[in-house]
Amino acid sequence: MSEERRSSQGRSQGRGAGRTGADRGGARRGLFRRRKLCKFCVEKIDYIDYKDVRMLTPFVPDRGKILPRRISGVCAAHQRQLQTAIKRARQIALVPYVTD
Amino acid sequence: MAKARKYELVYVLAPEVSEDGVAELHQQIEAIVARFGGQIEKTDNWGRRRLAYEIGRHKEATYVLETIDGSGELMKEIERRLKVNEQVLRQLVVRVDEDLKAVERARARRQVDVEHRLSRRGASEAEAGEPAAASGAGGEVEGER
Repeated sequence: MSEERRSSQGRSQGRGAGRTGADRGGARRGLFRRRKLCKFCVEKIDYIDYKDVRMLTPFVPDRGKILPRRISGVCAAHQRQLQTAIKRARQIALVPYVTD
Repeated sequence: MAKARKYELVYVLAPEVSEDGVAELHQQIEAIVARFGGQIEKTDNWGRRRLAYEIGRHKEATYVLETIDGSGELMKEIERRLKVNEQVLRQLVVRVDEDLKAVERARARRQVDVEHRLSRRGASEAEAGEPAAASGAGGEVEGER
């Protein structure tokens, strides 16, 4: 009996989770959005150099913060590299910490 | 015992330091490197640059980049010396040998990938070079998603 209850509970949970996931996907699909490409993947850049200011500045907007990848479209691996590169560049005053 | 590692050293000097002063500091570093049995692979003076933010009252400064083969103790000593020096506004030591190796590996992997694709298609390299590269970029994006 207890066995049965547990299994039905598990099933209902599974179904609920599935439904919310589908709903979210549907809402997303309704919006038109151009697929962004990772600039570093496209240009086949293996190493993001902290010394190359011209490569970094597009990802450091006026405010001085690092551009999130949901906006820039950079892939996770390259965003991680980019992050350390920007932080290093900040240490030696190539890139600002904050500006206003 | 100590395996040779590769480091990049960047130091930022106050703008009033003369050319001679820059050369003198470079010689000091050279001496330390020699004493620890290391080697300076490359020195690159970027000259004067605008700083991204003011350091003290300075708005611009002289940048020098050195690529050094040596041990961690060597870099520690250099960093300590630079920290003591008042002319040095900033210094940064980064170990680069492992990153360079990773870059090499990525490049090799891509090369193998391209060759693999070429051989699978059985096309001549002249006509398949471009499409293979294009599909490679597409594949990466799909994988990421």
